[in-house]
Amino acid sequence: MTRVPEDIRARLDAAAPAGIDYEATVSPQGAVTAWCGLANSEDLLSVGETLLRLGARLAMISALQPPAPEEEEEQETEEGAEADKPTKEPPKTFGGTPLDGTSYEIDYHFVLGGDFVTITAYLPAGGSISSLTPMFRSADWPEREIMEMYAIVIRDHPDPRRLFLDPAIESAALERLIPYSTLVNAASTKGLWDKVLAAKGSAS
Amino acid sequence: MTAAGASKTYTIPVGPLHVALEEPMYFHFDVEGETVRDVDIRAGHVHRGVEYLTAKRSIYQNVVLVERICALCSNSHPETFVMACEQIAGLEIPERAAYLRVIAAEIKRIASHLFNLGILAHLTGYDTLFMHAMQVREIMQDVKETLFGNRMDIGAMCIGGVRYDLDAETTAYLNAALDKLAPEAEALAETFRSNRTILRRARGVGTLSHNQAIACAVVGPVARACGLDYDVRVAAPYAAYDRLKVDVPTLADGDVWSRAMIRMAEIGVSIRLLRDCLRDLPGGPTRLPDRPDIPAGRAMGKCEAPRGELVYFLKTNGADEPERVKWRVPSFPNWDALAFMLRGAKIADIAIIVNSIDPCVSCTER
Repeated sequence: MTRVPEDIRARLDAAAPAGIDYEATVSPQGAVTAWCGLANSEDLLSVGETLLRLGARLAMISALQPPAPEEEEEQETEEGAEADKPTKEPPKTFGGTPLDGTSYEIDYHFVLGGDFVTITAYLPAGGSISSLTPMFRSADWPEREIMEMYAIVIRDHPDPRRLFLDPAIESAALERLIPYSTLVNAASTKGLWDKVLAAKGSAS
Repeated sequence: MTAAGASKTYTIPVGPLHVALEEPMYFHFDVEGETVRDVDIRAGHVHRGVEYLTAKRSIYQNVVLVERICALCSNSHPETFVMACEQIAGLEIPERAAYLRVIAAEIKRIASHLFNLGILAHLTGYDTLFMHAMQVREIMQDVKETLFGNRMDIGAMCIGGVRYDLDAETTAYLNAALDKLAPEAEALAETFRSNRTILRRARGVGTLSHNQAIACAVVGPVARACGLDYDVRVAAPYAAYDRLKVDVPTLADGDVWSRAMIRMAEIGVSIRLLRDCLRDLPGGPTRLPDRPDIPAGRAMGKCEAPRGELVYFLKTNGADEPERVKWRVPSFPNWDALAFMLRGAKIADIAIIVNSIDPCVSCTER
């Protein structure tokens, strides 16, 4: 079974001219978990090609919006999000994307044998990234899910339809608080609440 | 819907609610006569936003939450999640806990596989075999109820170990249950191997080639039925699997029958693993004495769930709530392979082929 080769760091380095932030740990049972941050998210395709040649399988893609360090407020509420932006120069990720709670981190988790290689790309708010789907078929659904959950643009996706959410629902669902009654389209909820209030009023 | 190319194809919808599918999934089939030419899968009917909820709960509350993502592989979710937590905190679980984790996982695997095999029999119209498989499965359901107090969500995992223990009485009960199960499972395997009804409906049906399996990145019994020799318990051992002998059965044909036979063989492997665990079970504590804080960090966890490789990504920042919990269930990549399995299939075989990937919709959509 192909595992992570000894010279993986050099190979990834060669594929990403802008530079990588490489770190690896080995479990007591010998499984490698490697993490590789990309200074420039445009290097993703050539890094992907390197991993494809090694026989890696794209197991999962995780996207997240890392909160600004020391800043309690994430962009959870629709109102007031702009007002909460830190006024000082925000800290930066590897590669210089501002870490202000509005930027994104996308982690591409590859499996080689029993080992993990995670490639991390950082995107500023409004940023875009190339699709890995033409290279890895298994990127199709994860990328479609990311497009509906976050305001991330994935370029050249062959089939950029919604995956789970209905087209009527506004995009970037994971960046907003959606009240449960809205989510499940529960028209009865307000009526039920009115009933509860009315019953309470008549009791007191 | 415009029919692709010639006017001979037309589209039939299957689902989202359909007698042959246990969970809601919506298919659009382009068919020509009785033959499926293309398939389009529309997911999302049980999308519940569990990933959002994980960011609103503490790491310890999440152990309970992730167990509720799915019923049949309910134990695999907390198992993988706590492994990721333990990696970040640098915890090593007690020896006894490592073996008890294997026991919980293998009991769940047997019950899950028997369920899928039973449904296969049901979909072929062989309901006697369906009921027989479910009756055999009932042995493992009783085991779960006796050992864990629950038949589906067993609540066995916690950060730093397990939440249950075996004593002389429960060990004897489990041993007796395995003695009862082993001949029953062997008889079932013989039926699936030789019964003509099963063979006619399942052999050469829903074929996935080796290269298609690699392209779709399928995992679990679906991959092993295409000759892909990948099992997390061997490729990246966790818990006590590095001290146990895990056989990885593979077959080459990649049809519905091969997938069923892989599951049948894995039941045998699980029974042996359970016996080995009971024989070797070391003494000592079942979990670490205190509830450690999980520091800032990131980790990847993976385990072999009944349906294949389950992957967890956990990122923490020192707060009570995790910054991000993301998981990919084995069914998620396996759906894609259905496009290959169903092309050229007969309409009557759709349900059997869909069931053969042992699909878990609530897992997939979360």
